[in-house]
Amino acid sequence: MNLEQYIETAIRPRLQGDGGEVRFAEQKEDSLTLVFQGECSKCLILERCVRWIEEQIAHDLGVRVHIRAVRKKPYFWDA
Amino acid sequence: MAHIAVVRRSMRPEEWTQLRFGWLKRHIYKKQYEIKTLQIRNARQVAEMEFVYDDDYVPLCKGDFYFTPDGTAFIRGDIVIPEDLRQEELWLTLKTAAEMIVRVNGAYVGGVDPNRERVLLTPYLAPGTERLHIEIQGYNRSKPDDERNPESLSVRGCRQIFEGAYLSVVDHAVLDLVYDLELFLNIAGSELFSEDYRAFLNRELSRALDCIDFEDDALPGLADAKRYIDEVVYANDDYKGSGDVALLAHSHLDLAYYWRRVHAVQKNLRTVLIQLRLMDRYPEFTYTHTQAYTYETLEKYYPEVFAELKERVAQGRFEPVGAMYVEPDCNIPAAESLIRQCLYGQAYFREKFGKTIRNCWLPDVFGNSWILPQILKKCGVDYFVSNKMSTWNDTNRFPHNNFVWRGIDGSEVYACVPPTHFITWNMPSQIQENWEAYQDKNTGGQTLSMFGYGDGGSGCTEEMLELMRRFPKVSVMPKTEHVGAQAFLEKNLKDNPKLAKWDGELYLEMHRGTFTTKAKIKKENRRLEYKLREAEIISTLRALGGEAYPAEKLKACWKKLLVNQFHDILPGSHIAPVYRDAMADYAEIDRTLDEVIGSGTQYFNSLNFVRTQLTFFENENGDSTRFGKKGYWCVPNLPALGHGEVRRSVGTASRWCACVGDTVETPFYSIRFAPDGSFESLWDKTLSREWVAGPFNRLCVYEDKPGVYDAWDILPNYKDKPVSIEVVSPLQLQEQSDEAATFETELRVGTSTWKRRIRLFRVSRGIEVENVVDWREKHRLAKAEFTCNVLAREALCDLGAGFIRRETHRNTSWQQARFEVCHHKWCDLAETDGGIALINDCKYGVGFEENRISLSLLRATIRPDPTSDMGLHRFAYLILPHAGDAVHAHINRAALEYNIPLVKADVSCQNTFPGLFLQAMKLSEDGKMVVVRLTETEGHRGTLQLPKPVKLLNMLEDACGEAQSVDYHPFEILTLGIPLQQ
Repeated sequence: MNLEQYIETAIRPRLQGDGGEVRFAEQKEDSLTLVFQGECSKCLILERCVRWIEEQIAHDLGVRVHIRAVRKKPYFWDA
Repeated sequence: MAHIAVVRRSMRPEEWTQLRFGWLKRHIYKKQYEIKTLQIRNARQVAEMEFVYDDDYVPLCKGDFYFTPDGTAFIRGDIVIPEDLRQEELWLTLKTAAEMIVRVNGAYVGGVDPNRERVLLTPYLAPGTERLHIEIQGYNRSKPDDERNPESLSVRGCRQIFEGAYLSVVDHAVLDLVYDLELFLNIAGSELFSEDYRAFLNRELSRALDCIDFEDDALPGLADAKRYIDEVVYANDDYKGSGDVALLAHSHLDLAYYWRRVHAVQKNLRTVLIQLRLMDRYPEFTYTHTQAYTYETLEKYYPEVFAELKERVAQGRFEPVGAMYVEPDCNIPAAESLIRQCLYGQAYFREKFGKTIRNCWLPDVFGNSWILPQILKKCGVDYFVSNKMSTWNDTNRFPHNNFVWRGIDGSEVYACVPPTHFITWNMPSQIQENWEAYQDKNTGGQTLSMFGYGDGGSGCTEEMLELMRRFPKVSVMPKTEHVGAQAFLEKNLKDNPKLAKWDGELYLEMHRGTFTTKAKIKKENRRLEYKLREAEIISTLRALGGEAYPAEKLKACWKKLLVNQFHDILPGSHIAPVYRDAMADYAEIDRTLDEVIGSGTQYFNSLNFVRTQLTFFENENGDSTRFGKKGYWCVPNLPALGHGEVRRSVGTASRWCACVGDTVETPFYSIRFAPDGSFESLWDKTLSREWVAGPFNRLCVYEDKPGVYDAWDILPNYKDKPVSIEVVSPLQLQEQSDEAATFETELRVGTSTWKRRIRLFRVSRGIEVENVVDWREKHRLAKAEFTCNVLAREALCDLGAGFIRRETHRNTSWQQARFEVCHHKWCDLAETDGGIALINDCKYGVGFEENRISLSLLRATIRPDPTSDMGLHRFAYLILPHAGDAVHAHINRAALEYNIPLVKADVSCQNTFPGLFLQAMKLSEDGKMVVVRLTETEGHRGTLQLPKPVKLLNMLEDACGEAQSVDYHPFEILTLGIPLQQ
């Protein structure tokens, strides 16, 4: 399973379960860019969740990546 | 002279009081012992009581991260109680953002969450207990509405930091004073109370705290402070309040919303458990709880807690309220669904508690259909409680709180729509606000104030009850009384001749988008409501022929459908996993019903009138195509409740549809189409009139940005920003058969493609519009708009069991607010000698303005679900110009035929109950009768003659009489019982 599939099938449903949303954007070597929407886009402690995703990837895929989190806030929270 | 704003930098006296109040709270625990032996195992809940574990137990220490996205955590630990705590009243304390259920030595002792941090242990431990085995199940609390409790707002998120767990001993003297100060500081901070009294409080509370020496951890002077509060503050009665407020303990629970339904099992357990534990400590405390479904899951999975609940119900302290199975949406479900909500809900309450619940409890529902009062009344319910109209209307203030609600057929129930939100935390300011907002002060008796956190916030807290004990001592507050629900309703509403009457629907002036959001859920709900009807009728008729009646299968299907009619599922206001659960449930119901219906050699007409509408029959050798499937069109002419062969007409009129210049000629119409599938002219040859007066059947797409309540709302100015639609391929004839001619156009909206197929018929006046949409938009509302050459000030809208007349003008703010309303299968705009009906197969939202109808088709919202409504949609509607009005044109019958597909089953019924619609036929719940439900849908009065006497039933299937001839009045729903031996 590649990283994009892993994010889609293993991580995304869990974030959706909390009203969040994550989409794979791009991977450059060990750098992974993820776009966070929904509740994640305004989460005060998103950084903790991002570190957890890195740990999950290392645990499940044996790959160490650094995640760059991009928040895509909906217009009504984009003050 | 320039004004210079002065920023005061020194501390104001009330800030000094608040600061010392914070210091005081640090002394609530006089002893604390950290539990350092805890372990944690992370998991994810995948079904009711089923978990997938991330790992095995690992140590959990203060400062560790815990919880994962959508995670459930299991925490355990063993501890020896320290010697110096063994004779003390022992508490477990744990500050958390999660929702935790706590068991100690096998006993359910309570729960902690953002609203409460401690659980009393001592009464639930065996005498002499020295060791504790702690088990905690926690669900990460990440709900978005926590601003109701601002303290929990700051701790929201999926990954939390564990702040430690402790065995603690409470200093009750400190806690007592803390509650006194909570009470008075709330009053002091609220502008709803007298300015002079607040000044008095600010002065005297500060003086009380002056008694305490905060430099010393023993807090010398604490007793003096308490005495000062009692003798100076409580004792003061110079300031008088007014009002009479009934305080009702309640916890609202969304079965699914920002969480899946599977999580509601534990949310409910925690809520119930916490209330039971409060009852152990507060003998005066009574609590109300809704939804038979939640009682069912508690009984199934936590029988020991359910046994306790049952005991409290018997004592009258735990009060089941709300006769329904769940708290459903009350706009979209069919009448029969609402009846089944009551039937299965009441059956449960009767069986488990020996009670018929006399009230319907729907505080969070987004408006209530006019058909409800009759259904409630005939389900043993005399009282209706809701809330949103009084607190959420965006335009008009709903004029009553305690009143009589008159339904479509004239049935009346007592109604209570409390003036403030159904989730409060029982603060004096909230009680005062309730009284001030109450509009029936002189006629309605007491006003109702509900208190208790909702949605897993788990109801009432110790603080709410402690404050409630103090209210009678505060002269500035309204008079308060802690009440039960039924007692409140009977005391204030029953036989109250002063109550005002509201005759009409209880329309919510908000959340108008919920008639349209998540279109596929609405489509499946509609389809399965009718499929259940079909399955029950066929099964009943087979049972009369000696076959077994699949009662349990049918009931299971009903209950699954009813749960998915919950007011954040069917309306579409939920996250993506809730949608997936609903669709999986629908697929399961569909499979089961296919098994139940089975097959036959001939088509069965489950309608109790002859089917005369042109109908599509799938057949791979057919000469027509509908939604990509081959088949043929023909008029079935099947007898009422009978079966027979369907004979295809022999093609004799191959040139019945002709394109002459820019005009399409059919036996009924001369039509000029625009390239996008809209009509420039629809000339009716039979009635000699033009039906089009502007854009007609035009697809319109608008920018749809209602704000944070994205899935819920449509704004009144939604038409301000239309989105351009490109015609990719202009309308052209695609297919012509003996009976139907189909024209197709492909449109593009943004990146979405929208295929419209306009279908004209040789023998039918109907014009079908088939839509196949690959929908990829965001923030869009798609509508089909019809400018009709009709002068009408009222539109008729189907409610599923009768129709409502809605004004099409915008004279007052009441009409202006109803720019988008809910309808069921059809709506109609007519003059006395003709009009246009619009029949749909799965749509509910519609707007009217003068001669224009705008049928809402699709939305594209992003909150709560950023993926909402994306993907392929297939739906159709039928434009049906007619002579006379909708009733004389039998539009409801045409809509039923359009929505109920024919299936094969070799059954029939001799009695066809003419004049009424056979809404349901089933075996009674006790299996001894055939239950027939008949609805008057056209506003007529009449008499039903039956071949033999039958039992007259209420909707709970209780016998109320016997008759062979039954008079009925407009929009009445009759339930008859025919004993099986007949």
